[in-house]
Amino acid sequence: MNRKREIYSVELSGTKDIEKTDKEDGKKSRGLKNKCLERKKNHQKEELKKELDLHDHKLSKEELETKYSTNIITGLSSAQAAELLAQHGPNSLTPPKETSEIIKFLKQMVGGFSILLWIGAILCWIAYGIQYSNDHASSLDNVYLGSVLALVVILTGVFAYYQEAKSTNIMSSFRKMIPQQALVIRDSEKKTIPADQLVVGDIVEIKGGDRVPADVRILSTQGCKVDNSSVTGESEPQARSCEFTHESPLETKNIAFFSTTCLEVSAPPVGTATGMVINTGDRTIIGQIASLASGVKDLKTPIAIEIEHFVHIVAGVAVSIGVIFFIIAVSMKYYVLDSIIFLIGIIVANVPEGLLATVTVTLSLTAKRMAKKNCLVKNLEAVETLGSTSIICSDKTGTLTQNRMTVAHLWFDHQIFVADTSENQSNQVFDQSSATWASLSRIITLCNRAEFRPGQESVPIMKKIVVGDASETALLKFSEVMLGNVMDIRKRNRKVAEIPFNSTNKFQLSIHETEDPDDKRFLVVMKGAPERVLEKCSTIMVNGQEQPLDRSTAEAFHTAYMELGGIGERVLGFCHLYLPTDEFPETYSFDVDAVNFPTSNFCFVGLLSMIDPPRSTVPDAVTKCRSAGIKVIMVTGDHPITAKAIAKSVGIISANSETVEDIAKRLNLPVEQVNKQDAKAAVVTGMELKDMSPEQLDELLANHSEIVFARTSPQQKLIIVEGCQRQDAVVAVTGDGVNDSPALKKADIGIAMGIAGSDAAKNAADMVLLDDNFASIVTGVEEGRLIFDNLKKTIAYTLTKNIAELCPFLIYIIAGLPLPIGTITILFIDLGTDIIPSIALAYEKAESDIMNRKPRHKKKDRLVNAPLALYSYLHIGLMQALGAFVTYFTVYAQQGFLPSAILHLRVEWENDNVNDLEDSYGQEWTRFQRKYLEWTGYTAFFVSIMIQQIADLIIRKTRRNSIFQQGLFRNKVIWVGIASQIIIALILSYGLGTIQALNFTMLRPQYWFVAVPHAVLIWVYDEVRKFFIRLFPGSWWDKNMYY
Amino acid sequence: MRRQLRSRRAPALPYGYRYRLDDQDEVNQNYLADEEEEAEEEARVMVVPDLEEEEEEEEEKEEEEKEEEDSHSQETDSAWWRKLQIVNEYLWDPEKRTSLARTGLILVIYFFFYASLAAVITLCMYTLFLTISPYMPTFTERVKPPGVMIRPFAHSLNFNFNVSEPDTWQHYVISLNGFLQGYNDSLQEEMNVDCPPGQYFIQDGDEDEDKKACQFKRSFLKNCSGLEDPTFGYSTGQPCILLKMNRIVGFRPERGDPVKVSCKVQRGDENDIRSINYYPESASFDLRYYPYYGKLTHVNYTSPLVAMHFTDVVKNQAVPVQCQLKGKGIINDVINDRFVGRVIFTLNIET
Repeated sequence: MNRKREIYSVELSGTKDIEKTDKEDGKKSRGLKNKCLERKKNHQKEELKKELDLHDHKLSKEELETKYSTNIITGLSSAQAAELLAQHGPNSLTPPKETSEIIKFLKQMVGGFSILLWIGAILCWIAYGIQYSNDHASSLDNVYLGSVLALVVILTGVFAYYQEAKSTNIMSSFRKMIPQQALVIRDSEKKTIPADQLVVGDIVEIKGGDRVPADVRILSTQGCKVDNSSVTGESEPQARSCEFTHESPLETKNIAFFSTTCLEVSAPPVGTATGMVINTGDRTIIGQIASLASGVKDLKTPIAIEIEHFVHIVAGVAVSIGVIFFIIAVSMKYYVLDSIIFLIGIIVANVPEGLLATVTVTLSLTAKRMAKKNCLVKNLEAVETLGSTSIICSDKTGTLTQNRMTVAHLWFDHQIFVADTSENQSNQVFDQSSATWASLSRIITLCNRAEFRPGQESVPIMKKIVVGDASETALLKFSEVMLGNVMDIRKRNRKVAEIPFNSTNKFQLSIHETEDPDDKRFLVVMKGAPERVLEKCSTIMVNGQEQPLDRSTAEAFHTAYMELGGIGERVLGFCHLYLPTDEFPETYSFDVDAVNFPTSNFCFVGLLSMIDPPRSTVPDAVTKCRSAGIKVIMVTGDHPITAKAIAKSVGIISANSETVEDIAKRLNLPVEQVNKQDAKAAVVTGMELKDMSPEQLDELLANHSEIVFARTSPQQKLIIVEGCQRQDAVVAVTGDGVNDSPALKKADIGIAMGIAGSDAAKNAADMVLLDDNFASIVTGVEEGRLIFDNLKKTIAYTLTKNIAELCPFLIYIIAGLPLPIGTITILFIDLGTDIIPSIALAYEKAESDIMNRKPRHKKKDRLVNAPLALYSYLHIGLMQALGAFVTYFTVYAQQGFLPSAILHLRVEWENDNVNDLEDSYGQEWTRFQRKYLEWTGYTAFFVSIMIQQIADLIIRKTRRNSIFQQGLFRNKVIWVGIASQIIIALILSYGLGTIQALNFTMLRPQYWFVAVPHAVLIWVYDEVRKFFIRLFPGSWWDKNMYY
Repeated sequence: MRRQLRSRRAPALPYGYRYRLDDQDEVNQNYLADEEEEAEEEARVMVVPDLEEEEEEEEEKEEEEKEEEDSHSQETDSAWWRKLQIVNEYLWDPEKRTSLARTGLILVIYFFFYASLAAVITLCMYTLFLTISPYMPTFTERVKPPGVMIRPFAHSLNFNFNVSEPDTWQHYVISLNGFLQGYNDSLQEEMNVDCPPGQYFIQDGDEDEDKKACQFKRSFLKNCSGLEDPTFGYSTGQPCILLKMNRIVGFRPERGDPVKVSCKVQRGDENDIRSINYYPESASFDLRYYPYYGKLTHVNYTSPLVAMHFTDVVKNQAVPVQCQLKGKGIINDVINDRFVGRVIFTLNIET
């Protein structure tokens, strides 16, 4: 819970989003930027390919001392340190260059449609300027309009800026990781100094639990273990010593990395690990990864590309119609000033001012919905990205698996038994009647150093915290489930001596008194690597009876061992030996160092295999991904066999598909002779990947539908992601370590683990899975696809009325009618009545099973495609314009101006000096009376559009199905939207009808209903369209009318 | 495709000969298949015969042109041929079986769609006209209360003129003369009836019956009629200004009180205008001119006028004048509309 709140606060208090600014950048100077990007990309690749240029681990202590002119005993002098500090800078990561807030704000002010609206506003003011210079009493209408337009831009800009400000800064967590203090030897004295004062050559001491203050070459230590997961992704603690063990600085044991945690250092006399600082600040491994992550340029999210595409379409339409009609107006001998005002009207009518804000709101609504389902979205646009994802590169540990060792199989009495590996392990069904089981379970219980942390009596066994390593924990929990109170059993079988596990022995042994008071024998129990354990056995227990270990039983053992090992499980062998009382009386004192007791001729009892089992929800989720056309690729640092086994058990490699190796084995052919096309699946190791050219990788990714990458390094993950992106795929990457952060950033959508994930990963990611569960991704995909569909509907809904807003201006110019709808009125539609309904479409349910279709193609399935634009503009839009014009003509005709009379009336109508203009009945009108009538016309036109937008809203609920199939009342928010439309219109007409600047009047009630038949017509027409689409799928009609 | 098909069919042998072939069945089937495809193609072509014809015409034209070019040079010929092929492929792409026909189909569908939309709007407008009477506007609340205009009017409500310079006021005279042509006594007597004053001239009967109009003779305006003084007083610095109330169908002054006109200085010294003569002397619009029955039936309706003769106005300074209608139910103080029930103008008479 605590954790969750923390993550939430990350989202809420987040400050910045590098991506967006980059995006804006890109928009502004694309050509230039592309080049830059390319250069940067190349640079980055070089960085990746280049092995880390670090040789300090190969040097001896003396060489190091010379290299860094320091002394291991006395350390650097303060003067030296100060000099080095001045030279290299403090030991901290430099935050990335931040765009200043004002620039970010200004960028919002000019993005999207803003430029068009600014042009409109400026034209308005220019028009007023010209008017004013001609006639000082000219009306202020244009000034108002200009100001309103400017206000609209500023408000939407502020809104967008606010949204942007809700994202987080990737570097913030790196800064947080820096340890506060470091114990350093300088001037032969131990000093505690702030860690950012460390310089290269400093001698530091690290205690267990400390964070390593810089990249440190270990000089002396014993039993030091570090958690390197944030750098290399290895989840198990890594031992550190002073020996140079590997060429690669990442693998060698004598280097501890900046920001990793030192887990333990064995007890005194040493107590601490001493090391020499070899890299500080940005030059550390983690610093390089961090700069790599922030250096990875963000791709535009698919939805950002789509919206940009849409903005281009709309702006293109607006500008071209505007210019065409400007030319027409000028050639029709209108004054240039008038033509400019027409241009403004056309721009305002064409630009859906409220749409971008609506899209943002829609996305954030979905983001909230996803957060409830454990997908926390940091970058709003990522909401949709998940929906268009075509490849998921998933981690294994923790995401696909439960991230804890669990007993999976047992082998005793020549039989393999299956243990329950589900999350609670409550359902252990194997046969427990055998006496062998009794012995085996006793060994499991006794030969184990792990213990439950005290004070967890009420906690379910599986959730109890255990002190001990992963396999011991698994065994402890297993025995606790099987036998009950383990600690009690151990108490009754008191331990008298023990040899802990070490890598040379590969076994663990302990000697116990038995709980039977009559049996004075000691029991020696042993577990360890099966082959080592078997070596020490001379007998084997079958059905409780000891039998000599002959060839056939050894064979059976090997078969079982290979079988269990072959499915990627970690196998342990168990054996025991009762010491005879005569040789080892009760008082015998065992000496583990001298080994004064037998360690051979044991009785082999059984094998037990453990695995990190897949989460129970994962196979289902993988199947769902499959049917949704999403390729799931496993990328893991784990062993290929384990990886493959898990992949098989979760369905990443499906039951009937084979790898090239499998086919080779089945057909008994060499691997080279197998036709690679036959193999659906592939298991590729990091070593193989290293030798692959990008083309080979492309081929691999294209030809195999089921791929597992094993033993991959963090940098290779990035290469894999890039490979997938070359296939035009939208790639989702899951990750938890710092090492994953470049890949997370590179991916179209990076998904970090909420529980296991490091802060850096969370910051680099676009999305955080609060429950670390792969299945949550599927939910995200579903929501993402839904939102894409619904955004289509929203945009279609919003675009439709643009034609109804635009036609009045065109007809006004061509036919000289009194203006049917004013610019300000248009703004009231775009930013008033239409807002809530278009958001309401976001709540629409999917029309069919969206998880049964392929992910959309990034370049082919556009958000706004030709059918959508054409159908909205040229079908429904025109119908709306028609309905609105009917209302307009009705208003004018009923007041005395029949349609024939208002044709080409514009000049006289707008002449302020004509105060006795005759209408069709011979009545004479003053200018103000006409103006008022014009406003009534605006209001009527507005109301008609509003009424028809209700029909538009209803038809946009579905794209293929009939409204009645979808259910008219299922989405209640739609009805809230409709109500809001009507209420806003009522308020504007009757409430604010007296405010002249708004150009609304009180409309006669009957005019509200003139457009109703047209609304019905729109609905019927759309139902017909959908009917034909359903009737003739794939036909000409379907292709051209389905958007 | 078409071309290919034809070439495939070209070596087609007489039917009888075919029988002798070993694989006759197969050939037969192929032949049939070809026939089918051909038929299909024909059918497609037939959907849009117009377009195909157009194409062919185009092609023919081009071919003619081509032939002309032919004689000129061979190079242009090949260029033309290439162009022709491109055009041809655009019109009928043999590979994809798409053609201009498809674009044509779209156009046809749009044509029908818009035709039906046009039908819909025609229907709507027709219904609209059914519900609207051509004689009587459905609503008149927006045009009421009546507006006021003055004559002469030429773009501006400022009367600036110099008595001694006829050029400065001649256009007022011309304008007034022109305006009053319709009020000539002879014309009025010929066209209109002399109806009793002081009461509404109500003409019952069907809406569509032609209505008679009351005479308003130019001579009613006395000194401002331009009959005695053809300069309407402008030559003496005593300008006549005619005031006209906007026509409104069915408008009747309330309670039988005729609407009166009264002018005064709008701002400034009230004594700037020392005397105004009104013609007719009652300074009112007689009731007999109401109600107005509309343009269609009340053809010769003549708007009544009130002439204001500013006989003694301060000279050489701008005098703002406001003329208001007075009467029951008359509104003359709307802030936004300076022409409802009143009119404001300035007189600046220089001597």
